[in-house]
Amino acid sequence: MSLIDEDQALIASALKGSAYAWEKLVKRYELKIYNHGLRLTGNSSDAMDLMQEVFLGVYRNLHRFRGDAKFSSWIFRIAHNKAVDMNRRKRLMTSSPKFSADDEGDEFEKFPGKKELEPENRLGSIEQNVRVLKMLSELSSDQRSIVELKIFQSLTFDEIAELQDISANTAKTRFYSALKKLKVVSEEQNVLS
Amino acid sequence: MSCPKTHYLLQEYFSEGLSAVARNELDRHLADCAHCNAQLESVLLAQQDLQQWQEQRVPHWDRHLELFRQEHHIDRPVSRFLLSWQWLPTAASLAMLCVLLLNVNVISNDSGFSISFAGPSASGSNLNAQLADFEQAQRLEMQQLVARVEGRQDSTSVQLLQAVMEQAQQSTADSFDQMYAYFEQQRLLDLQDMRAGYEQLVDSDYETIRSLQQLVNYVGYQSDIR
Repeated sequence: MSLIDEDQALIASALKGSAYAWEKLVKRYELKIYNHGLRLTGNSSDAMDLMQEVFLGVYRNLHRFRGDAKFSSWIFRIAHNKAVDMNRRKRLMTSSPKFSADDEGDEFEKFPGKKELEPENRLGSIEQNVRVLKMLSELSSDQRSIVELKIFQSLTFDEIAELQDISANTAKTRFYSALKKLKVVSEEQNVLS
Repeated sequence: MSCPKTHYLLQEYFSEGLSAVARNELDRHLADCAHCNAQLESVLLAQQDLQQWQEQRVPHWDRHLELFRQEHHIDRPVSRFLLSWQWLPTAASLAMLCVLLLNVNVISNDSGFSISFAGPSASGSNLNAQLADFEQAQRLEMQQLVARVEGRQDSTSVQLLQAVMEQAQQSTADSFDQMYAYFEQQRLLDLQDMRAGYEQLVDSDYETIRSLQQLVNYVGYQSDIR
């Protein structure tokens, strides 16, 4: 049985009320969603909140999943929407007047910035991850989101464009700009280390 | 040396929808253009850096199972062992209730133990009498103790006074003896001094007489010569 078929079977069982099937379904995707949140938010607490919100969304909307798309794509769409919501809430809680002029554009534009990413404090001793988060913290939120979806989730530019409601060319441009910035950051890190 | 195609070509390099012809064209350009090739290499290195990410374990959480069970009216799975022993707390509670209601009294002594029902409450007055006896005995014992302490205090005081008096008398006699010995010693020393003084005086007198005799002799001798 393929992974997609297994997902379908688990969803069907969970919809019939099988707690075991639901738990198994969550276990299949929680690691990906948690690490996705970790890279986007830069700290485990927000990543945990995001993951819980994502699976709550999955639970509430499971009956709406039609099965004509991959479950992984569906769940990452929910993750994206929840991340946007979380970002919006954070912006409201820590609203600053200087952001108001630039607020139009991508929903991720004001996702946690450099100051909110605390890799050393939050991620313990995984050195590579600290390095990756330091690099990601140099990107703007929309760039970080595209890098996450392209490099870590292996989505196509068309899928990213659809998810973020932008054109594929915009997605490509943002991705390449992000890579160029990462190149500079990586070179700086190599010089310092 | 920069290349005007770098930005567009590298942007397309990561596109998965590139046709085979376009891919070949791009590869050929990258092979010929050192600048584009160098840019691509550095960008790929940055991408590799990101791919060093190691998946982190998810902290423990309930996976919304509680919510799932609540909404699907599913009880928590209980193990068979717990099911087979779930009567135990109820039985223990009932046993305790019986003990309280029947006023069970367990008495343990040298010959073993005995269980009686409603025993201790009947002897409530007996208990009061025992308490009164005990209080009386305690009071007597306390009085005896006080008397003994007082007697001991009196005898101790008399003995102490006698001891002080004896010590005072003894010290007075010793003082008189010492004074007598001191005066006696002083008297003897004075006598010795007086004797020595008289002897010196007598010696000096003898010296004076002898000198006078010598003078007389000398004068007599001088007169004889004339």
